[in-house]
Amino acid sequence: MSIHILSPEIASQIAAGEVVERPASVIKELLENALDAGAHSISISVLEAGRRLMEVVDDGCGIPVDQLELALARHATSKLNQVSDLYSISTLGFRGEALASIGSVSRLTIISRTSDSDVGARLQVEAGISGSVDVVSAPPGTLVRVQDLFYNVPARLKFLKTDTTERRAVDTLVTRYALAYPHVRFKLSEGKAPSLQTSGDGDQRAILAALYGVEVSRQMLEVLAEEEGLKLKGFISPTSITRSNRREITFFINGRWVQDTSLTTALNNAYHTLLMVARYPMAALFLEIDPAEVDVNVHPAKAEVRFRNQDRIFSFVQRAARRALLAYAPIPPISTQGLWGSSAPQGGVPEQFDPAWNFSQELSEQNESPFSPYSHLSSAGTGSSLVPVSLPGAEVPLLRLVGQIGSTYLVAEGPDGLYLIDQHAAHERVLFEKLMSQHENKNIPSQTLLSPISVQLPPAQASLIQDQLPILAHFGFHVEPFGPGIFQVRAMPVLFAHADPVAALRALVEDFEEDERPLQSEIEARLAGRVCKRLAVKAGQVLSPEEQRSLLNDLEACNSPRTCPHGRPTMIHLPVDVLERQFGRKGAR
Amino acid sequence: MKAGRHPPMRIDTIIDERIEAMKVTVLQETLAHGLSIVSRAVSPRSTLPVLSNVLVATDEGRLRLSATNLELGITCWIGAKIEEEGSTTVPARTFVDLVGTLPAEQVSLNLNTTTQSLNVRAGASNTDIKCIDSQEFPPMPVPEMDSAFQINVADFKEIIQQVAFAASTDEARPVLMGVLMNVEGDKLTMAAADGFRLSVRHATLSTSAPQALSAIIPARALNELARITAEGGEMISMVLPKGRGQVVFRVKDAELVSQLIDGVFPDYQQIIPRAYKSRTILSTQSLLKACKQAEIFAREGSNVARFNIKSSGDLEPGSVEISAQSEETGSNETIVSATIDGVGLLIAFNVRFLREVLEVVRSPNVALETSAANSPGVIRPVGSDDFLHVIMPMHLG
Repeated sequence: MSIHILSPEIASQIAAGEVVERPASVIKELLENALDAGAHSISISVLEAGRRLMEVVDDGCGIPVDQLELALARHATSKLNQVSDLYSISTLGFRGEALASIGSVSRLTIISRTSDSDVGARLQVEAGISGSVDVVSAPPGTLVRVQDLFYNVPARLKFLKTDTTERRAVDTLVTRYALAYPHVRFKLSEGKAPSLQTSGDGDQRAILAALYGVEVSRQMLEVLAEEEGLKLKGFISPTSITRSNRREITFFINGRWVQDTSLTTALNNAYHTLLMVARYPMAALFLEIDPAEVDVNVHPAKAEVRFRNQDRIFSFVQRAARRALLAYAPIPPISTQGLWGSSAPQGGVPEQFDPAWNFSQELSEQNESPFSPYSHLSSAGTGSSLVPVSLPGAEVPLLRLVGQIGSTYLVAEGPDGLYLIDQHAAHERVLFEKLMSQHENKNIPSQTLLSPISVQLPPAQASLIQDQLPILAHFGFHVEPFGPGIFQVRAMPVLFAHADPVAALRALVEDFEEDERPLQSEIEARLAGRVCKRLAVKAGQVLSPEEQRSLLNDLEACNSPRTCPHGRPTMIHLPVDVLERQFGRKGAR
Repeated sequence: MKAGRHPPMRIDTIIDERIEAMKVTVLQETLAHGLSIVSRAVSPRSTLPVLSNVLVATDEGRLRLSATNLELGITCWIGAKIEEEGSTTVPARTFVDLVGTLPAEQVSLNLNTTTQSLNVRAGASNTDIKCIDSQEFPPMPVPEMDSAFQINVADFKEIIQQVAFAASTDEARPVLMGVLMNVEGDKLTMAAADGFRLSVRHATLSTSAPQALSAIIPARALNELARITAEGGEMISMVLPKGRGQVVFRVKDAELVSQLIDGVFPDYQQIIPRAYKSRTILSTQSLLKACKQAEIFAREGSNVARFNIKSSGDLEPGSVEISAQSEETGSNETIVSATIDGVGLLIAFNVRFLREVLEVVRSPNVALETSAANSPGVIRPVGSDDFLHVIMPMHLG
């Protein structure tokens, strides 16, 4: 095998892999180019989640006819001149790679006209090979059309996710940029109707409404903080609105969407003790910082950044968010949406207030203080010599029953020592698995509502639901589309019958986003609750030796016998060598 | 306070200037009865200690007992021999439990105002209870009963029972936790719904109301009202003091004040189906019994019971087959004979909802009107058109 230099086509395809990995990354590069060109209006069209066509049209400064060919060459850019510029980058792009990379993995057409030129120019590129520049008539600005992405890189094509997922990525990306650039008019269409349209009048809340829905956007808290060289603007969710994932936490640094775990952590820290475990806030925060203080040239996709003074940024973000949170009373509002969708007019602050009757309100506010003093105790140290067996899924060895102590615990001997088993927890686990197996693969009964309820969902979630309507029906939700982003819930699963239908639907959508088995957690929680309250033997109940033996046998047959459905251990293991040490037989201290 | 409620009650009376000591004698039976009426309005766990207490005060020759949780207040007057005027608030649980065990004879209550301790003496028993100054008790509004109108107690009790159970218990939808009450002339309409069912009852008042009114009254307050009113031909006076968001009900010796629920009750008229494809007439008791049986098996799962309505053929009479099954406990099936006018249908209902409405239907026969497996069913008593209940079907997926 001889060593040889790769042909430019192969080299550029390899390089393209770093920048262009999915349709959303193409859109991102083209969007950033359009924004760098000073566009006031950007229109994006996508067909078949971008596999077939992506088109970005802007009204920016355009590319002069004579430079069009150069624009598509690798490492060709108008945004950077000398090395020192690299350390103070104020444009979104600078590497001069995007167009070349996209061109090498698709059929790319670019049409552009500068405002001072009478005619536009068109250039077509196919798999990295440019055609000739034609003179055409065109409006001022630039149009980039990307067709048949990855048609020459089948391996990439295979790694694309489903259309729904890819479309969601595009939706998410465009709405984020729309939010970051409220003065630019964005229009995103996938097929016929535009799925996002912003006015470009600078009203961020209106865009927030498109992103999260009107109700949520109204409640989002505004963050505004400034410190020498640093400025943080944006919106964060009040403590009453949370998500089960960190996906809705968005950071922009100098107008560039970045994914930075330390910033996300800083925000989460601001919510410390205010949110339940495994719940995360939503946020769209825009950090402005001296370009020299941040290095965005970490990766060609530019999603990662490095700060010169990481700690300072971290604490700045955390303080700003915390301050915004505390400035608003953190009391979760009670949903007042009437079942009939027509929300009842809210009285607002009552006019006649009498102190004597008012204190109940203050008291209830205090009661709902979200601090939970016990949250950090849960991880308190466990006994040094007693080891709770906490490997879920680990099997239980064959046990020989010794007996019951304190009418609460079973004592058993295994090949590797002594086992103490909590009879209540163990029985819970046994019953839970029995009930779960009965519920597998069963259709979920649903209850029709007296009158349908409208739910408004943000575009990303709306397109997700749109594709899942038949599956939703299987889970007991009868949902019909009712205008852009609006759905009517006609029936809901009995499991949720006592919850707010809107919240229930949102929970289900979140499950879909997580690609979990939808409703699984809800079903499990219900069963666990029932098992615990009504069916399982309690601590303090004397069990006959037969009952004890049968419980042990059933527990051995369980899939995850070592924890109860609530996650507490069912058994504690006292290994033989611990016993030996305690009795001073071996290795005594 | 919940969102969507009216502002808290307003002070109307200030408990009169401090009177030196209170000294009254009352019959144990009377006191126990009075306490049982008011104690339901006590908040059992309140961060405001005085709300766990019952106000005991002398009031124009009688003894007044009051309790409130700031949303609902109940006052009751009992006969007593008053030697010295005064007032205090007594911890409700202690007082109720104590009075319940006292011998059935005269109980004398003596308040020491300096220590706020109430001496309760009956027979050989002698007790001192630590009390809270009555000044701290939230004053109860005193309504003007001029604009009140009268409702017959027995009727009203039945109306409440037929409607209030359908109200929601979900705090997230305050409007549905209430019962809509509409009065126009001598026509009274009450309606309640919880999102899955709707109960509507019409009635005629013995006297016309002075003006039309419409209010949403918490179902809980109405249930309490039904509880404290005795059976019989008594009258209830009802008044909605202007601009306060409250309703006051007064019966002979008791008064109940409740906050109204602020908001717009959904337009229930449009939910009531205007037509049906089949009308099934069944014996109320047989259907109720079948539903109770089915519920034993349905409750393990999702309360689903199937109703197979088989229209009468040429030879066999019509029938409804009610069935429920559970993975854990087994299955049950009951056939109730029925007169069916229209087509047969297989439909599923929440059997608990159905049982609850059948329990308040007074007529011997009941009609179930249905159209399709996914459209609402309507329950009406046969022979009277003053009650109807809409119940949404379920799907088995």
